Amino acid sequence: MSEKFEQGVQALRQQIDARISSYFSSCVHCGLCAEACLFYTETNNPRFTPIHKLEPMKKLWRREYTFWGKLGAAFGLGQSLTEDDFAEWETLVYDSCTLCGRCSMICPVGNDITYMIRKQREGFSVAGYAPDGMKEATRRALKIGSPMGVTYKTLKAALAHVEKDTGMTIPVDKQGADYMTLFSSMEIVNFPEYIESIARIFDAAGVSWTISSKAFEATNSGIQIGNKEAAAELVNRVVIAAEKLGIKTVISPECGHAYTAIRWEGPNLIGRKYPFEVIHILELLDQLKKEGRLQLEYKDSIPMTLHDPCQIVRRGGVVKQPRDLLNSVAEHFTEMKDHGVMNWCCGGGGGVSANERAEPLRLQVFNRKKSQLDELGVNTLVTACANCRIILEEGLEHNEMDTEVISLTELIADHLVKDESNA
Amino acid sequence: MAKSIFLQSDNRKMHAGWLLLLLLCFIVQPFDSFANTSESRGIPSAAVLNPAAELWRDVRQREQLTNGTSQVKGVDSGVLINAYGDQWRKFRMQQLIPVGGYLLLGIVIGLALFYLIRGKVAIEGGESDKKLLRYTSYEQLIHWFIASIFLFLAISGLIILFGRPVLIPIMGKEAFSVIASACKEGHNLMGPLFLVALILIFIKFVRRNIYQKGDLSWLLRGGGIIGKKHVPSNFFNMGEKTMFWMLVLVGSVIIASGFVLIFPVFGLGREWMELAHVGHAIGAILVIGVIIGHIYIGTIGMEGAIEGMKTGYCDLNWAKEHHDLWATKAEQQGEVISNDKVSRLRDVSSAQSLGGHVQEE
Amino acid sequence: MGQFIDGPLWTFSLSVFVLGVIWRVVTILIAGNRSDLATAKGSAGKGAIRTVFSRFVPERTVATRGRIQLIAGYLFHLGLLALLFFAKPHVDFIAERITGLSWSAMPHWAFIVSAEAAFIGLILLWLHRVLNPVTRLLSDLDDHVGSILVFLVMLTGCLALAQAFEPLRLIHLLLAELLLIYFPFSKLMHAFTFVMSRGYTGATMGRKGINA
Repeated sequence: MSEKFEQGVQALRQQIDARISSYFSSCVHCGLCAEACLFYTETNNPRFTPIHKLEPMKKLWRREYTFWGKLGAAFGLGQSLTEDDFAEWETLVYDSCTLCGRCSMICPVGNDITYMIRKQREGFSVAGYAPDGMKEATRRALKIGSPMGVTYKTLKAALAHVEKDTGMTIPVDKQGADYMTLFSSMEIVNFPEYIESIARIFDAAGVSWTISSKAFEATNSGIQIGNKEAAAELVNRVVIAAEKLGIKTVISPECGHAYTAIRWEGPNLIGRKYPFEVIHILELLDQLKKEGRLQLEYKDSIPMTLHDPCQIVRRGGVVKQPRDLLNSVAEHFTEMKDHGVMNWCCGGGGGVSANERAEPLRLQVFNRKKSQLDELGVNTLVTACANCRIILEEGLEHNEMDTEVISLTELIADHLVKDESNA
Repeated sequence: MAKSIFLQSDNRKMHAGWLLLLLLCFIVQPFDSFANTSESRGIPSAAVLNPAAELWRDVRQREQLTNGTSQVKGVDSGVLINAYGDQWRKFRMQQLIPVGGYLLLGIVIGLALFYLIRGKVAIEGGESDKKLLRYTSYEQLIHWFIASIFLFLAISGLIILFGRPVLIPIMGKEAFSVIASACKEGHNLMGPLFLVALILIFIKFVRRNIYQKGDLSWLLRGGGIIGKKHVPSNFFNMGEKTMFWMLVLVGSVIIASGFVLIFPVFGLGREWMELAHVGHAIGAILVIGVIIGHIYIGTIGMEGAIEGMKTGYCDLNWAKEHHDLWATKAEQQGEVISNDKVSRLRDVSSAQSLGGHVQEE
Repeated sequence: MGQFIDGPLWTFSLSVFVLGVIWRVVTILIAGNRSDLATAKGSAGKGAIRTVFSRFVPERTVATRGRIQLIAGYLFHLGLLALLFFAKPHVDFIAERITGLSWSAMPHWAFIVSAEAAFIGLILLWLHRVLNPVTRLLSDLDDHVGSILVFLVMLTGCLALAQAFEPLRLIHLLLAELLLIYFPFSKLMHAFTFVMSRGYTGATMGRKGINA
């Protein structure tokens, strides 16, 4: 038994709190969580049953927290957690779970299975049983500042491009701004339109904002791989930068897990409350629209539907805002049958998109989204997460579907009342 | 209340009922004059001398059923002595129990002999490495649901029927009274579940059990169990279909008569109860006999026969040998799957909770 | 033997049950949860209460893909609860032995309906457990022991329905006592901890402003 393994078990042990104890005590093995999980519904492989993915943690809990487990241990009977368990469960824990949280919504005894898997990853990552792709991403995030290796230099180039296109000046490191916005690397590299969009929206709405050159990265590989130290470090960078600039509110971008990281896990990771607020870009846009600061013109007549990013909607609580926003710019917005907090995941969340070996499985489970879209027959898919967007585009391409994926923020920016008419 | 009219029509129904009962008895075995045994007819000569004989005869209502009047309002309250009651009792004790018992015993012995001669029917081509989906998990579920209820009802019912001649000599009256009470209560309570189970089975399986072309040739050629040659058959063969219909039809008689027996609330008189009991018992013995055969084939009688109900999948070679027409069609439609895939879908590898590997496509 | 089952064993098993359940609940509570430092969007308390009740209503995924478990689960649980608390012999027993309080028992027809429902539910649930690949993979000894013990208690209760034979009543009572003793050490605890699980999840979701 290696030392790393022991540390992993110890890390896992530390995660077992009242919630997890009550969850394991309540689980009657009814198997309903499988029916809510796209990895099961699309493969029919019973090993993808959400609660089954927690077998290692359950084994530890049973051994150390239950009567029969302790009795067995006293007589040298029963099984204890082994390194083989980590090895065998690694793919189940990382490749076949996107932390989408759908199982947690339907469990009859109310178990938050997703929370448990998130916690179980803490033990796995310490023991060294995590996918290489995610290990690398976390290493890059800590060392370079971004899981994709994006540096401030890259951002500066992107910003210069936007400035050239729009003729605006993008405020960087502006002391005392109301809002400080973050980006995900994916947006900087793949969707710079997003940066341009918020620049135009904030300009039109007269928002005082800035970007920090020290902390612009919103994604947090630490919470995906399940490493609370790494996660805390990444959150802390943002907190320090925001405090230095005297920011009132930090804006989480159109990225799902970034919102969970900075909004919900962040204060708990660094162990203190923030002196500022955190808001999701969609919440802010909705707020601006309601305050009348966002003037939007005409509605698109093409039918549109919304893909709810799990971490923003189901796990984040931003449910109504994207709908109100989309309705204000789309004439024919139709919901998928399962939507809102019960939407189906794109298949690439929770670090799965950074995990190369999971790609075949990920493309297989994309069938869930495909059948949802086929059923609805709408060819324009609006979403609000850069990661979802990439995964959706890949899946659509793989299935040779001609559905267009657009960002809600960009869509809103396109409908801004033009300056000329405003004046 | 027009009580007399009600009772009259009841009587007519009752006579028709006896006719049906006679028919039912005829199916099992031609009994000689069970309804008019010489014993019950015979009048002791001394009775003629008895001045109370006339009165007694009227009270017993031997000649015909007459209804007196009574202050008590209720079913059968006008009947002082039901002459048929004794006939029913005699039928139960002297015909139903011995004949029924020997019939079931005969079936068991017959199957044992058959097994000794023929042995287990093997899959000729041996097990293949491919399978066909035969029953969905819902189909397996309702099969085992009806099976468990049937077994409970059959065992408790047989104890009630054969307890007196078989169990009392072994365990004594006191112990048997406890068991009989338990069986009666359990049988009554579980009985209605059989109706639920039968409805579920009927809805799910009726379409595959409609007789088709080719079914008769299966029958004419002895179903393949007798002799060595296999006979083509559909998803279900003629034997299975007949069992299905028998379960549905005779089962309905058993259920209907069972309800009459448990809930004496439908205003049915004693004669109806007697009739219901006879129908219930004869029907049940017939179905139990058939199900013994069914269980024999599923367990020791035939290799691979139970797989479909145990795992959902059956061996391709087995399917070809026993349900050729269905297997060929399924094969043409590309429904054949490899054993590997089946074990992955069923996760056979990890019977113990930890172990096995994640399969990725 | 009869006196033992009726007297000391009953007292013992009831004590094990009560103390065991309290012990289990307390152990979970003292494991503790760290307080959430993130600014809440909604009320944790309201969320907890909402989820405790809202999970009784099946979500569409459960109502379609999980309808066997749903229907069988409800038949079993409702039937069992009705039998446990409203069957005439139970009402009398509870009044005489435990609370001293008596409430009205359900009529005989309702008893029959509850018993039928509970049996259909439990048999289907257990068969589903052994037949469905998912539940077969998940299930362990505890699940089977729990199901079978509850089934036996229900069955012997029905066999004793005539209330005419002391041995039948004692067998039922003995099995019920075994069940009480087994209860705190098993998954049967979900009868109590489900409130905690739903509550914890509901509180977290409530803080985030999500109706879970």
